[in-house]
Amino acid sequence: MLRRDPRLLKLPPYLSFLCIVVGVVWLLMLPLDQYSRRTYISENALLPGQVHTYFSGSDQNVFRAYRHEIDALKNRTNTEANDELEKIFKGIGLKVGRQNYTYHSSGNTYAGENIYAILQAPRGDATEAIVLIAAWKNIEGQFNRNGLPLALSLTRYFRRWSLWSKDIILVVPPDSTAGTQAWVDAYHDAHDPSHVASLPIKSGALQGAIAIDYAQESRFESVHIIYDGVNGQLPNLDLINSVVNIASGQMGMGSALQGIWKHSQQYDDNLKTVLRGMLNQALGHSTGPHSSFIPYHVDAITLQPVGQGWHDEMGLGRLIEGLFRSLNNLLEKLHQSFFFYLLIHKHRFVSIGTYLPSAMLIASNFTIMAIALWVKSGYREPDAAANKQANHDRHWTRQAAREEEEARLIAAATAAAERDVLLPLTFVAACQFAGVVPLFIFNQTPTSLLAPAFTLFSLFNIGLPYLASYFLTAGVRPPTAQQYMLIRSFSLLLLGMFLSSLATLNFSLAFMIGLLASPLSFARPWGSSAPTPTSTASTTSTTDIMRYVHATLLHVVSPPTVLLVSSLLGGVPLGRVLEEAAFGWNIWGMYTPLVVWCVWWPAWLVGQVVVLGRPPAPSENGKPKRA
Amino acid sequence: MRCFPSYLIPFFLLFWTAVASDYYERLILKPLPQSNLLASFNFKSNTNLSQFEAHNFRYFPRSLGQILQHVGTRELHLRFSLGRWDAESWGRRPWDGTKEGGTGVELWAWLEADTDEEADRKWRSLTNALSGLFCASLNFIDETRTTRPVISFQPEGTHPDSSLANMQLLHGVLPREVVCTENLTPFLKLLPCKGKAGISSLLDGHKLFDASWQSMAIDIRPLCLNGEECVLQIEQTIDMVLDIERSKRPRDNPIPRPPPAHDLKCNSTKPYHSGDTCFPTDFLEGQEWALDQVFGKPIKGACPLTGPDATPVCFVAPLSRDIYTTAGATEIKDSNGVTRCYKIPSDADFSMILPRMSREGEQAKSDADEMVKPETPLLYAERSFTGHGQERGGVRTILTNPSPDYEVEFVYMESLPWFMRIYLHTLRTQINNGASGHNKDVIEEIYYRPALDRTRGTQLELRMRIPPASAVFLTYDFEKSILRYTEYPPDANRGFDVAAAIITILPSTVPNAPYARAITSNLRTTTLLLSLPTPDFSMPYNVIIFTSTAIALAFGGLYNILIRRFVGADEGPDVSVSGLKGRIVATIITLSRKIKGAKGKLD
Repeated sequence: MLRRDPRLLKLPPYLSFLCIVVGVVWLLMLPLDQYSRRTYISENALLPGQVHTYFSGSDQNVFRAYRHEIDALKNRTNTEANDELEKIFKGIGLKVGRQNYTYHSSGNTYAGENIYAILQAPRGDATEAIVLIAAWKNIEGQFNRNGLPLALSLTRYFRRWSLWSKDIILVVPPDSTAGTQAWVDAYHDAHDPSHVASLPIKSGALQGAIAIDYAQESRFESVHIIYDGVNGQLPNLDLINSVVNIASGQMGMGSALQGIWKHSQQYDDNLKTVLRGMLNQALGHSTGPHSSFIPYHVDAITLQPVGQGWHDEMGLGRLIEGLFRSLNNLLEKLHQSFFFYLLIHKHRFVSIGTYLPSAMLIASNFTIMAIALWVKSGYREPDAAANKQANHDRHWTRQAAREEEEARLIAAATAAAERDVLLPLTFVAACQFAGVVPLFIFNQTPTSLLAPAFTLFSLFNIGLPYLASYFLTAGVRPPTAQQYMLIRSFSLLLLGMFLSSLATLNFSLAFMIGLLASPLSFARPWGSSAPTPTSTASTTSTTDIMRYVHATLLHVVSPPTVLLVSSLLGGVPLGRVLEEAAFGWNIWGMYTPLVVWCVWWPAWLVGQVVVLGRPPAPSENGKPKRA
Repeated sequence: MRCFPSYLIPFFLLFWTAVASDYYERLILKPLPQSNLLASFNFKSNTNLSQFEAHNFRYFPRSLGQILQHVGTRELHLRFSLGRWDAESWGRRPWDGTKEGGTGVELWAWLEADTDEEADRKWRSLTNALSGLFCASLNFIDETRTTRPVISFQPEGTHPDSSLANMQLLHGVLPREVVCTENLTPFLKLLPCKGKAGISSLLDGHKLFDASWQSMAIDIRPLCLNGEECVLQIEQTIDMVLDIERSKRPRDNPIPRPPPAHDLKCNSTKPYHSGDTCFPTDFLEGQEWALDQVFGKPIKGACPLTGPDATPVCFVAPLSRDIYTTAGATEIKDSNGVTRCYKIPSDADFSMILPRMSREGEQAKSDADEMVKPETPLLYAERSFTGHGQERGGVRTILTNPSPDYEVEFVYMESLPWFMRIYLHTLRTQINNGASGHNKDVIEEIYYRPALDRTRGTQLELRMRIPPASAVFLTYDFEKSILRYTEYPPDANRGFDVAAAIITILPSTVPNAPYARAITSNLRTTTLLLSLPTPDFSMPYNVIIFTSTAIALAFGGLYNILIRRFVGADEGPDVSVSGLKGRIVATIITLSRKIKGAKGKLD
């Protein structure tokens, strides 16, 4: 009978390995044209590129004047610059509000003052609004020299139209990270009043936000669409499609995604776009001033002119005008198109139904192993070889011996064993809660101490599994092989559960953590084959060597090592990465650190302890050897 | 019903002149800051109550009169509004806010009814009739949108005590109704001169609905003055704020193209000022317009029904403002020093030209010469949603009393849809008056009528008092209900409009208060857009398709099994070889098989 076939229990590791392989291959297939779809405008009300745009001519004179004004404010303090901006806004006839904020993260203080102006829709009733963002500094800290004057002259131009159905809010934060977050939090009254001031004036529900990041001095060739939001949330695909449509169809501009300026639309560039998109999504960081809006279900993108071409700032202005006219047409919130997608290039995308299985397969590999281990832990261990020898004396005929042996093996393999779950549960729970410690350390340590703290933690992290393993085995009742199995089972079950639910929220993060944690599926104690009286010292030392080799290999995929290696590969100093992570956690509400330290790290720790574990042989009466 | 309050008496003094003649019309023009112009059109027609009851309508519109008689309406107020009044720059509202409604359509009326059921029935037929008359979706004012305000509204007309007893007030709002030209046409038809002559000839849908703020009002009330016969008065009001720059654009070319560079008004004192760099000075130049320019046409003579002494056009600005009028008009200066009224000829077009007054040179003029400084309103109100997400939310209203000396007492009324379930226990007020820290409760009285699902909305009336120079934050939380699939309106993802809160400022009880404080005035907040959890509407169709397929498969198979009788192949009659036809068919089949077999071998 298949059900009682002992081979069935040997299957799960292969199955789970297959899941991982299929998951990765699946992802690599996505950039092929057969598995992606062409983008299309789903919301008919948008009508992108269907209007004439008139932002040109003498408005350029105004733009130049505003640029002179902004240049003069470059070296002033935030408040002084905002005083001048307020005068300009009032001159245009806008309602002006200002907001102070002070954030603390990693011992640094991020303080500033946002200024914003509301262009009240001439016939509107303050029920809806569209946001135009022009930060003083872009995400890289460059002075947004052309973007800010462009936003000003556009707003002045917009005031001349009476067709707006939504208010237009021009937000000028001092930076692209903290300022927008403070503003959008306060707009939705989700702010902490002790750090962020409330907004003095408000408008209606935000229907979309466009940020201009135009620090480049020269004319440009194409417009870079930055769309990743905090925690990997994405704006509605219709918004991106509209920009691509208006830029290429009406303005003759190119558009670029994920920092790939020249896209060949071939497999390698497609894959590169997908992987960069996934990396941004997995990091969950803010990629522009628009990012903070997306968690509030406000579809937002940043437009960044790139390359050397013949388009000038008025061209970008007309693109934004066209986009605003499209958004203005919206009767409903953007809801028609996709919110979960991977863009391959500007005209092709993969939707969630196609890409999700790859992350789910990887997450399910853990679940499969966990269930297999749970089942396996319920079987009684085949008796030690010592028994076998004793049996040999009793049975003289070979035939009878074989029959007896088979019957005994089947009985042993299918016999139920009592599971001792207290120790495994406690241990796994303790490891999970221990994740809070690094989370706390890395989010509360001052910037200057972050890198040293990381070094210390990494060193401690190398020793920690040995220490944990020592304490686990040194007790009066060291864990048995079954308990090790249960420890693995619980840990993998949690990991599989976390990752499969995370995959629906942030596919890329789940995929990457799943891939990095996949060796944990195969972590097993190396002492589990019980030493028999006949076993020699050499086999014992081989197991020891294997154990330490395995442990070292697992160290390669430990969270600190991966962090260190990726910061070296990415060329970003480690301290900066940690500072950014802490900033994200404290200010944006970015949950990547939580996933790393409270999902991945505990699973890794348990895996490592299991590899180092030496379950006692049943014949040894609970007297284990110590490492 | 309360007894008739004494504070309404000043109203009657105002109406005195109106009652004297049978038809009256007046356009008041008032320049506002930042190149805006307030135009208030006011039309009044009277008819004797006895004549009205005898179906002799005269100046009173017959179509409306018959509806009123049919449903026993004692007093009726109808408002169509669009846009918002910018109190911060434009100051006090025209008519102290008494002749405007919240965004959309607002209707309230006192009906003669002995029971609630009778009132509801009459109200339904009134809304249906008005809906047809004004081309507005007034028939959508059902019981969930109807409230019976208790302390917010008082009758404006004179009603004998006997009829006060059986008068019921009903109030309904349609915040989503878009007011447009189809509402203006029936409105103009009610006028005796029907937009052909008099000030109403200026009214044009293109200009009216391009205005930054506009409100159309109809008030019908009985008025009785001592020693005279009671009259029924219909007062029609249109207020609009025109953006002068926008209105001056020619009708055939309304696109705001960038002006030629030499036409830009630049600040030439800037060091970088040059031919291709211009710092704009948009509002510093002062206004320059003509009546026929901003309205697109001149006044086509006076309406002959107004009488020879009528001054239908008035202009409110300091007397230092230069005005030129077309020939035949007579200027009459009002004693208050800021108003000039014009008697206009009945047989010639009338227009006014207001030239630009130079802001430079020896006779430099300032804003103070061009317009009356806007008066500070008694109260500012701003309402917005707080929170985010699909489950619950909150409403925050900021009510600011700008006056340093007077406290302001008012009734704040919200009528909320039933799917916005408010938690009354979360109703909080927080007073923010800077130095003086006394935080006495600002809410004096609460009238609350909770919502019933799908039957009626929430009605919340609060009588509040705000001390001088302080702001009150009024907040409450609510829960969003999940609607049934069919209850969502078209374009459900837009959200649901929540009607404006109505604020009725009660007359000050302080002796010798200024006139503006001694009367009742109104203001309304903006409407809100409530987003409810909205299903993916394609999903039900998917479900229908899936279930239909499943049922078709299951039903088909089951039906087949149930209906068909199964017999063994050898048990049944041999269909294939029985009879001549069967034999022929069998022969053909065997033949064709043989031929096919032969072909197969050949291949």
